[in-house]
Amino acid sequence: MNLKGLLNSTTIADRILLFVLILLSLSGIIFIKEVLPKGHTVRIEVNGHLVYLLPIEKDRIVSVKGSVGNTIIEIKDHKVRITESPCDNKLCILQGWIEKGSIVCLPNRVIVIISSQEDELNKRVDAITG
Amino acid sequence: MQLQDKYRIALLSAYALALHGFESLLPTPIPWLKLGLANIITLTTLILYGFRAALMVTLIRVVLGSLFTGTFLGPAFILSMGGGVTSTLSMGIVLSLMPRLFGPVGLSLIAALFHNISQLFLAYVLFIQRIEAILLITPVIIFLGTLTGSMNGIVSDMLIKNLKKTN
Repeated sequence: MNLKGLLNSTTIADRILLFVLILLSLSGIIFIKEVLPKGHTVRIEVNGHLVYLLPIEKDRIVSVKGSVGNTIIEIKDHKVRITESPCDNKLCILQGWIEKGSIVCLPNRVIVIISSQEDELNKRVDAITG
Repeated sequence: MQLQDKYRIALLSAYALALHGFESLLPTPIPWLKLGLANIITLTTLILYGFRAALMVTLIRVVLGSLFTGTFLGPAFILSMGGGVTSTLSMGIVLSLMPRLFGPVGLSLIAALFHNISQLFLAYVLFIQRIEAILLITPVIIFLGTLTGSMNGIVSDMLIKNLKKTN
């Protein structure tokens, strides 16, 4: 069967459907990552130890005890910030809302990291350096 | 159902089963990528002998195929059954509502699309329950399904033409 015969045996609706499906799926492949929230979990560590592992989807306010005092962390609308900190320079509060990356409060030894599920899995694999 | 129809369904089911078994032996670049070769037979049956025969062939193929590969009533069986029945239903409905609109290639594309959507839905409800993982993989699966679906449609088209010629 040659190409001409193939074209004759397909209807116009066939061709439109094929075109639409390829267009939709390809644009889906490209854009779906942009639509999905980037970070999945919020890790809160004090002195290098994991204290909280929270989903970023859920609005929450938590208080953790650091080396100097209590740090209050707020999760809202897929964003995270530190609202109160006992440290002197308050750099962590000045950093404001973050959607990705991390907030580090050195004086109080508090680290807030937004990490994706894949990062978590990768960390688990590496047992030696972990 | 006449005796001749029964013979026909048995023969077509055997063809579908053979293709089903054959494709599970083929190495694919991605583990869950399947060509859906059995749908060639389902589609041919639907166009030549009607919806009931096509549904029968699909059910026989899914049940016997799972018995042969040892997945009867397992997760793979549920996915296979859901995908097979949904794709056959979608083709049957489209063909009965708009008989002249789509040719074999279009019907095969519709079958592939509904097969994938139903399997993704079942996988989400029964096994994975993480919507972002399903959403991430959906366009990739639909794209691959479109490619394999159009290939199967072309093969069905050739098969239907040859069968009509010999009849």
